[in-house]
Amino acid sequence: EGPSSSSSSSTVGIHRPALPMTGWEQVCRFLDPEPADLSMEEESDTRKINNSFLRDHNYATEADIISTVEFNSSGELLATGDKGGRVVVFQREQESKSQPQRRGEYNVYSTFQSHEPEFDYLKSLEIEEKINKIKWLPQQNAAYFLLSTNDKTVKLWKISERDKRPEGYNLKDEDGRIRDPSTITSLRVPVLQPMDLMVEATARRVFSNAHTYHINSISVNSDLQTFISTDDLRVNLWNLEITDRSFNIVDIKPANMEELTEVITSAEFHPQQCHTFAYSSSKGSIRLCDMRQAALCDKHCKYFEEPEDPSTRSFFSEIISSISDVKFSHNGRYLMTRDYLTVKVWDLQMENKPLETYQVHDYLRGKLCSLYENDCIFDKFECVWNGSDSVIMTGSYNNFFRMFDRNTKRDVTLEASRENSKPRAILKPRKVCVGGKRRKDEISVDSLDFSKKILHTTWHPHENIIAVAATNNLYIFQDKVN
Amino acid sequence: MLGRGVKRKWSCLEEAEVVSEARQLVLGLCLEKLQRYQAGVELSLRRSVLLINTLRQIQEEMRSDGVGSCDVHPDSCLLRDDFREDVTVTCPGCSEGESPPELPSQEANGSDQQKPPAAVSDAVNAMGYLGDLALDDIFEDIDTSMYETSDLPSAWASGSLPQSHSTAGSLQSCLMDLNELDHIMEILVVETHLVGPGLQNGFSL
Repeated sequence: EGPSSSSSSSTVGIHRPALPMTGWEQVCRFLDPEPADLSMEEESDTRKINNSFLRDHNYATEADIISTVEFNSSGELLATGDKGGRVVVFQREQESKSQPQRRGEYNVYSTFQSHEPEFDYLKSLEIEEKINKIKWLPQQNAAYFLLSTNDKTVKLWKISERDKRPEGYNLKDEDGRIRDPSTITSLRVPVLQPMDLMVEATARRVFSNAHTYHINSISVNSDLQTFISTDDLRVNLWNLEITDRSFNIVDIKPANMEELTEVITSAEFHPQQCHTFAYSSSKGSIRLCDMRQAALCDKHCKYFEEPEDPSTRSFFSEIISSISDVKFSHNGRYLMTRDYLTVKVWDLQMENKPLETYQVHDYLRGKLCSLYENDCIFDKFECVWNGSDSVIMTGSYNNFFRMFDRNTKRDVTLEASRENSKPRAILKPRKVCVGGKRRKDEISVDSLDFSKKILHTTWHPHENIIAVAATNNLYIFQDKVN
Repeated sequence: MLGRGVKRKWSCLEEAEVVSEARQLVLGLCLEKLQRYQAGVELSLRRSVLLINTLRQIQEEMRSDGVGSCDVHPDSCLLRDDFREDVTVTCPGCSEGESPPELPSQEANGSDQQKPPAAVSDAVNAMGYLGDLALDDIFEDIDTSMYETSDLPSAWASGSLPQSHSTAGSLQSCLMDLNELDHIMEILVVETHLVGPGLQNGFSL
C-alpha cells in the first residue's frame, strides 16, 4: 500500500505518507542540560536544550525518568508522565510564515503534578507516584482532557486556557477582598479583560480504591463515556462521570492464590466496537472479550496464542513470551503484541498464529541468562502503530528503536541520543553486529548499553512525527522526506 | 591453551551435566531474586509469578531427569555458551520497572548470609501469595552448596565452579573444542577483565 510506482503525474494526488524508513530528522529534544551544552556556540537550538522541562534543579534525578508518552487524537498535543508523578504537556508550534521551519516543533504547554506518593497503612507499603499511563480523551470543546494513572488511582485532568479575566466586581475589590458595603454607591458589572495566556490543569475526577494490584493500563472506550483500568488480575470498567463505582469485568484471581500462574499485562478497547476489548497475559496469550455476552467477561470470544517453537525452548521461554503491550490497529482489524524479543501482528480473524512476526533484537537470544540475571529480561517494551497501520515501531536497548514496514518488510534501527544527533540532522540507521567481523559503523552486542532502554514511544495519529522517551530525555523526530 | 581442530563428539553424559549445571545456575538466580526484596515497596506480581513459574519448571525438569532421560534438546549447547560467557553485570538504570536490582556481590548487608530456603520463604511470605505451599517440595533434592557464599556470581564469572562439581576440567576442555577462535578469545578477554576492578560506566555483557 505504498506510493504507486507508476510514473504518471497523477501520483501527486496520493495522500499516503511515504515509507518512513529514511529521512527521520530530529525536530526537537528535551534533555537534561550538561555543562557543555550551556557553552556550545554552534548549537543553533540552545533554546530547546536549555528550555528543558526538568524540575527546578539543573541535574537529572530519578524522578525525571519518563514513564509514558502519548499524542492526543489530533497530534496537536503530546503528554509525558514521569516517575515523579508529574505530567508535562507539549503543544505543536503553530504555522508561522516568518519561521516556516518551526512548524512541527513542540513547546511546553502545561506542567502539573498529577500524582503524589502515598502510603498504604494497611499493608505498610508505599504507593509510587510514577505515572504508568496517560490516555487522552478526544477533544469535544475548547478544553483538553486526559486520564493519567499510577499503580492505584486514575485521575481525569482538564487542561484549559484562560486568556481573560473578569474585572470590576461590585462587591469586592481587585484583590478579592470584600468591599465595605457603606462605600458602595453605584452598581457596576464585571467586564472581561484580556490577560496573559494561562494554561491550567485541574483534576476533575479521581477514580480510586478499585485496584488491589498494580494498574498497568487504561483505555478509553470509543463511546467516550467509559474507560477500563487494568491491574495484574482484574479489569474494571468505569463511567467517566462516576467515581464511586466501577464494574469488574475480568477477574482472573484464583480462589487459592497459590495456584496463580498467569497475570494480565495489558488491556485495550477496540477502537470502533465499544463492546469489545482485548487483554494480554504473562504467558503470551491474548483474549478478546465481548461485554454484551455477560457482566463478567470470564469467557473470551477469541483466544490468540502461538504454539511454542520447541527448538528455541529454554528456561526463559515463558518469561520472554510474556506480552508487555497490546495495541489495536487504527482500522480495528489487527492486534499488535510485544514480547521480549519480537513484535507480532495478529489478524483478529485468525487465532492460532500471528499474521506477522518481527524480530526486534534476536541477537539477545543468546544472552538471556545475563539479561535474566540483571533483570533486564523483565523490561516491558511498548509498541505503536503509525496512523495508516502500515508501519510499527518499538524500542530496544542502547537507545535504539526499531521500525518495521509491514508492506515492504523493510526495517530500520535508529538511535535517540544526543551524541549522535544534532537538531535537523537526519538519523543514521544503526546496525548491531552479531558475530565475527564488526564493520566500522556497527556496534557489537557486547557493547550495547542495557541501561539505556527505550520503553515508551508514540506516533502522531496522522503524520510521520514520533516522540521517543530515552530515560529522562524526550526526542521528537519528523520524517523529512515526506 | 587453544585447542586445535580436534572435534570431539559430545557424549550424552557430558551434555546432561552441562544442562544440569545450567539448571543449577538458573535455579540459583531464581532463589536469589525471590529472596531479594525491598521492605516498604510492593513487589511486582508479574515478576514474582514469572520467577515462581521458572522455579517450578526447573523443579519439574529435575524431577523428570531422575528418570534418566538422555534426550537433551540440541540447544542445551546454546544455553551452555550463554552462561559460560556471561559476566556479572550491573544495570543502574533498570529501576524504572520492577524492584531495582543490586549487584549481587555488593549485597553485604547480611540479607544473603542466611540459608536460602529460609530467606526465600520470608520473601515468599512477603509476596503474600504463595504462602508456604510446597516450599519443601520445591526445594528438595537441590544442591544448595553453591548458594552459601555471598560473592557467588563473581565466583561463577571468574570461572571457578562450585565445589561439588568434579567435572570442571572436562567442561573446560569441551569449551575449547568448539573450534571457534572468536568465541574463545571473547572468554579470555572477559576473564582477564574480571580480575580487574570490574565494570565502570554503564555496563556491557
